[in-house]
Amino acid sequence: MSSSVGIGTYRRYRAQSAQVNELDPLLIWPAVLLLLISLVMVFSASIAVAEAGKYSAYDPYFFVRRQAMFLGAGVVVSAILFQVEMETWQRISHWLFVLGVVLLIAVLIPHVGREVNGARRWIPMPFANLQPSELMKLFVVLYGAAYAVRKLAYMESFRHAFLPMAGVIAVVGSLLLLEPDFGAFVVIVAIGFGILFLGGINGRLFFSLGGVLIGAFALIIWLSPYRRARILAYLDPWQDPLGKGYQLSHSLIAFGRGELFGTGLGTSVEKLHYLPEAHTDFLLAVIGEELGLMGVAVVIGLFALIVHRAFVIGKQAMLLDRLYASLVAQGIGIWIGFQAFINMGVNVGLLPTKGLTLPLMSFGGSGILANCIALAILLRVDWENRQLMRGQS
Amino acid sequence: MKAKPLIPHKLPVFRARLVLGMLLLGFGALLGRAAWLQTIDKEFLLNQGRVRYERVVSIPAYRGRILDRHGEVLAVSMPVKGIVADPNEADLAPGQVRMLARLLDMSVDELADKLDSERDYVSLKRYVPKEKVEQIVAMKLPGIRTENNYRRFYPDGEVAAHVLGFTGLEDNGLEGVELAFEEQLAGRPGQRRVIKDNRRQIVEDIGGLVPPREGRDVTLSIDSKIQFLAFSALKQAVTDHKAKGGSIVVLDAQTGEVLGLASYPSYNPNDRSRLQPSQVRNRALTDAFEPGSTMKPFSVSMALDRHQVRPDTAIDTAPGCIVIGRARICDSHAHGVLSVAQVIQKSSNVGTVKMALNLPPEKMWASLDDLGFGSQTRLGFPGETAGVLRPYKNWREVNQATMSYGHGISVSLMQLAHAYLAFSKDGEIIPVSLTPLDRAPESGRRVFAVETARNMRNMMATVVEEGGTAPLGRVSGYRVGGKTGTAHKLEHGQYVDKYVASFVGLAPIANPRLIVAVMVDEPGTKAYYGGEVAAPVFSKVMAGSLRAMGVQQDMPLTRMQMVSLEKQSGLLPIAYEEAQ
Repeated sequence: MSSSVGIGTYRRYRAQSAQVNELDPLLIWPAVLLLLISLVMVFSASIAVAEAGKYSAYDPYFFVRRQAMFLGAGVVVSAILFQVEMETWQRISHWLFVLGVVLLIAVLIPHVGREVNGARRWIPMPFANLQPSELMKLFVVLYGAAYAVRKLAYMESFRHAFLPMAGVIAVVGSLLLLEPDFGAFVVIVAIGFGILFLGGINGRLFFSLGGVLIGAFALIIWLSPYRRARILAYLDPWQDPLGKGYQLSHSLIAFGRGELFGTGLGTSVEKLHYLPEAHTDFLLAVIGEELGLMGVAVVIGLFALIVHRAFVIGKQAMLLDRLYASLVAQGIGIWIGFQAFINMGVNVGLLPTKGLTLPLMSFGGSGILANCIALAILLRVDWENRQLMRGQS
Repeated sequence: MKAKPLIPHKLPVFRARLVLGMLLLGFGALLGRAAWLQTIDKEFLLNQGRVRYERVVSIPAYRGRILDRHGEVLAVSMPVKGIVADPNEADLAPGQVRMLARLLDMSVDELADKLDSERDYVSLKRYVPKEKVEQIVAMKLPGIRTENNYRRFYPDGEVAAHVLGFTGLEDNGLEGVELAFEEQLAGRPGQRRVIKDNRRQIVEDIGGLVPPREGRDVTLSIDSKIQFLAFSALKQAVTDHKAKGGSIVVLDAQTGEVLGLASYPSYNPNDRSRLQPSQVRNRALTDAFEPGSTMKPFSVSMALDRHQVRPDTAIDTAPGCIVIGRARICDSHAHGVLSVAQVIQKSSNVGTVKMALNLPPEKMWASLDDLGFGSQTRLGFPGETAGVLRPYKNWREVNQATMSYGHGISVSLMQLAHAYLAFSKDGEIIPVSLTPLDRAPESGRRVFAVETARNMRNMMATVVEEGGTAPLGRVSGYRVGGKTGTAHKLEHGQYVDKYVASFVGLAPIANPRLIVAVMVDEPGTKAYYGGEVAAPVFSKVMAGSLRAMGVQQDMPLTRMQMVSLEKQSGLLPIAYEEAQ
């Protein structure tokens, strides 16, 4: 008995390793390219800050070495988690979600969470700090898809389908706003309701409730002149270029300086202590300055490819009646696409300035790790799709 | 594999298309916005960038050196390192602040104060010694950087401090030659356009370079050997006689070049941290004083010139006093009948007054004016005094009388030394010069007849002989002459028992090469006569300077004479050793 299990496992292993080339090239190559561009640009963008900072021990390689480590860890963890079947993810998704909530509570507890610049977003760990909100995005995808599949029969019901999810999102959202991490809040709300929408929730219900929520939100902001001014500052950063518009005006200057083909790798001036957060939230601005419109277009194109592939893979899964896998794939597509859109929109001044990283690119351990795992799961969905189509499962 | 759960519906495909479409539309909008920024709006943005990080920085021009007549360096700018801070970045631990303060040689409070500034650039110290700079750099403190500066260095220190003056923080002349010759010494800073990062570090040159024009060297007529000699002798005398201060001027008796110019108290121009205003004054030029008897040679020369007297004309000075109006003018001792030469030798006020009262006031004024009294010399020194020579129309008899022996007129020591050129130049006066001249100015202004000047020189030679007022003014090996001055000081319109002791002399008598004028302000000891206080300084400086210039001796002494001279006057035995 035990030997037959061993042989079965071995066969499955052989089958998988023989079909490594079956990893979707249209997904994996754009992702690999983005990660490599990220490594180069994080180095370029961070070198001046690293060299001058006490925090980084004046080591110019401080950030790029860490980013490389995160990336290595992300690849290893992804390779391991690629082996996990989608069914397993579905089965344990609510436990993962609970784990995520526990971590989000833990980060708020003094001495457990670390406060940086007035925000409690990190839990100190031996090698790097853990940012629970990044993992939570992944957990919301996995849990939200499982929830939608479970409630498929009740999708017309406000009470059974919409309300419980809205409650869960409200709890997670409140925890995020307590940190505060407004950017993660927006992304998680988008993932949660996006999956619900794709899962087939009553359209009238969705749009009317969505409309009411957005309207209320807009009203709150509009009624507070201070908030309104802060939010709308992005529309004209040149009005207060040394105060509210400082970061955005420098980001825009970076793009302008880049012109079509960029000033050349390593030659950004904005990264020399003018543009804050050049290696994290404003990495695209440095790309725009050093690599020009061409570089920006390549990055946007690669993101578009990845998002497109996520939805294609999701559709294939759906055609194969793998609803959970399908929703997970599309959820990941929403996550990466939406977060990338917001981050880049902030960089080019289309959206109000809020702290949010560029997926797969910005410096940050938890973010890179969560993004890599998401890609592994996406590849797994695709791989299982192909297996099914061949009748191999 | 397990069986799939039963599924009631398919997922709505169009919703997935809608979401994907919206996301791709968003990406398209991003691309459009980026394209707008990077092509159409770029001029505006590029310009905003330029405003923020393009700067024109000035390239400091090297300040010219100041040299003495032999090319010895008197002042030079040396490239040094300074330490500057960006207080916004420089948040240092208390231990680091203490260590930095120690290396910068300043108090912890002072340093903490500077680091507390709101500005983003503070100069902590403009000049820090090399090894300390290295230690500071090795500490790798955030926000603490080095800066290239020039530092003015004066190799001779206090010796020439008053001649040279000093420069300010911007390397601009503030005093003395540094100020008077600013135009020549200061270069014109160059410019270059650079890109600076947000910590003021220059990242890149972007052309538009205007090279700096280096400052030119200034060569002075000063002879640093004579300068040193003059300063040391003056310092010694002021210290020995517990005087308030003093000045000395050494002139080339034929060209009018200033060879030495010193005042005391002085200061170290290389460290001006504890500088008092009184130390900075170049007393020989800025301070006017009533010269007293050093004026007599002029009054007597005027009488000689007008043939009112001859050197051997007898003048009765008995009973040692003369009454003019309500004033009584007396000699320190009653002398009886004196020749004109003896009036000079013994410095008789009565004798001088008797001669001067025969001079028409306008002629006397014109001569004094020709001699340069009452107007600034042409040295161009900052803060130079013109002295006081009142217009002759306001003169009363008593004014003319007192002026003849140096009261009721005030002069600077430089003016006095300058006027003695009329004697050394056989009656012609030429301007003084702080820069070296190839030869004497051709056309002097004649003040006295040749004969008058020669006669007066011979009379002044008797001053340092037995029976004169200044035997201590003698110089072995040379025939020298001069005139003492011991003037009561005027305080709040009253003459008080404080004195200015002076001596102005020239040598060699037959063909003068040097003029040395010495003034000691308020000697505090019992000795206060010009012959006691100032004449020895004259002797010392004149002896050393004549020798330094290699002037031929005109009165070699025998060994026996040397010994007796030495016993009498306490002269240094240098000449004695040489005679051996």
